Amino acid sequence: MIKTIKKYSRVYRHFVSTSIALGTSFRLHFVLLILMDLLFYFSSLASVSFIFDHVNQIGPWQRTEFMFFVCFMLAVDHLHMTFVSESFWELSHQIRTGSLDFLLLKPIGTVFHAFLRFIRPASALNIVVTWGLLIYYGQAIGLLWWQWILMPILMLLSLTLLVTMEILVSCSMFITIESFGINFLRMQLQQLARWPDFVYRLWARRILTFGLPVILVGSAPVHWLLSPFEFKFMAYMFLAIIVMWLIIAPVWRLSLSRYESASS
Amino acid sequence: MQAELRKWRATFEVSWTNHLAYRLNFILLVFGPALVFFFIKYNLWKSIYTMPGITVLQGYDFDQMLQYQLLVLIVSLMAQGHNSMKLADDIRLGRISSYLIYPFSFFKFHTASFLAFQGIQVLICGFTISFLMIIPLVTFSDFNSVMRGLYFASLVSFLWFQLQFLVGLLAFWLEETWILRVILMTTAQFLSGAILPLEFYPQSFVKFLDYTPFPYLTYIPIKIFQGDSINLLNASLVLLFWSLFVYAINHILFKRGVRLYTAAGM
Repeated sequence: MIKTIKKYSRVYRHFVSTSIALGTSFRLHFVLLILMDLLFYFSSLASVSFIFDHVNQIGPWQRTEFMFFVCFMLAVDHLHMTFVSESFWELSHQIRTGSLDFLLLKPIGTVFHAFLRFIRPASALNIVVTWGLLIYYGQAIGLLWWQWILMPILMLLSLTLLVTMEILVSCSMFITIESFGINFLRMQLQQLARWPDFVYRLWARRILTFGLPVILVGSAPVHWLLSPFEFKFMAYMFLAIIVMWLIIAPVWRLSLSRYESASS
Repeated sequence: MQAELRKWRATFEVSWTNHLAYRLNFILLVFGPALVFFFIKYNLWKSIYTMPGITVLQGYDFDQMLQYQLLVLIVSLMAQGHNSMKLADDIRLGRISSYLIYPFSFFKFHTASFLAFQGIQVLICGFTISFLMIIPLVTFSDFNSVMRGLYFASLVSFLWFQLQFLVGLLAFWLEETWILRVILMTTAQFLSGAILPLEFYPQSFVKFLDYTPFPYLTYIPIKIFQGDSINLLNASLVLLFWSLFVYAINHILFKRGVRLYTAAGM
């Protein structure tokens, strides 16, 4: 077990170093990536802020709670952009062109390689902005020291749930020949996760909690941070992660059996 | 003249077929995001308007807000669906060499391709509007408003095409242009009133936006669809000005870019 972890850590170190070399090769591209993320953060926060200029609360939350939720989701989004996003786009290209063959031949887990291969160093720098905003609004809602300690763990849980769902969605890339649209579908999952559960109507909330548990990504941890004695949402989140992790391996294997290895 | 028209027609037909070759992909790329965007906003505004004491916000009651958001869906389908992905790939991968020797220019080829895409979008929009009127979720003051709205959305689509073309042409200088496409999309969505009606923005900010083309991308077309007293001639002239302005930049960029073109892979 420890040997395997060491092996994968070594491989991941190489992923990081090659991604940094690649990411810093084109300087303008590097700067534009940072700018793109910042624009997205600004428009997300400003949209909610403009709404709160005209209403006092949405659902049970007032401005500060809602802004904290948005910042939490931006921080999760930042992790996603930095560590996994690029790999999903690459996978679609690899399946279409048949270059996934090379990955399948490597003596390493294909899911690990396919979804963690590419890192965006430019996006990583935006951690200052996302965590700066999170700390500002976290202090505004009066988070306690132990909640701050748990924050990175909650964020990793959110990222795990989101990425797990995205991997399952991405498996359909093996069926569709042109899989660019699947990546757009994946991005729509992220859109849905960016709003708290109470925003959705009852039937939509049920589907997005128990069917495709996308609203648990942000709502479960933030609800728990705001009301630490209510475990319901966190329990759903743990359950969703376990169930999804259990089905990833068979679904991935099934999808690989549909792989046509184009042009080889 | 006839020979020229034949080239346009042939390119139009090929592009139409290309766009519809992978139908699921087309739906997920064009229809999916617009629908999810609407679904979120419907739920968001419903949750706001069910709060006690909230009936009208900045002149919009819930029905009017719903109408606004449905018209955002229609305008974004009609005017902002096109992207310059293929154009940028053609430049980056050295595929424009063939256009440079064909008797049909690069710009004409992509314009014809855009018109084919727009033809599909008009059909989708026609279907969407008819469906929304039958349910009925959207009501128009008169048929004239629908036609004026469709006409203006078509003009917007041309400006959008020019902006996308501009981003695509930057592939002569940049390794990747998708970032600029995302920046354009994010900025346009936020500043054009696609997320919130501009009445919700601070007044000084809206005054600043008046000097930019952004409100003309979503907010103004919606107001025209709604039959508001917008001077259609003035609005069309503003759009025409911005379209010509971006067209001129595109013309210059293409001329300069071709000089840098290395025909990668030849």
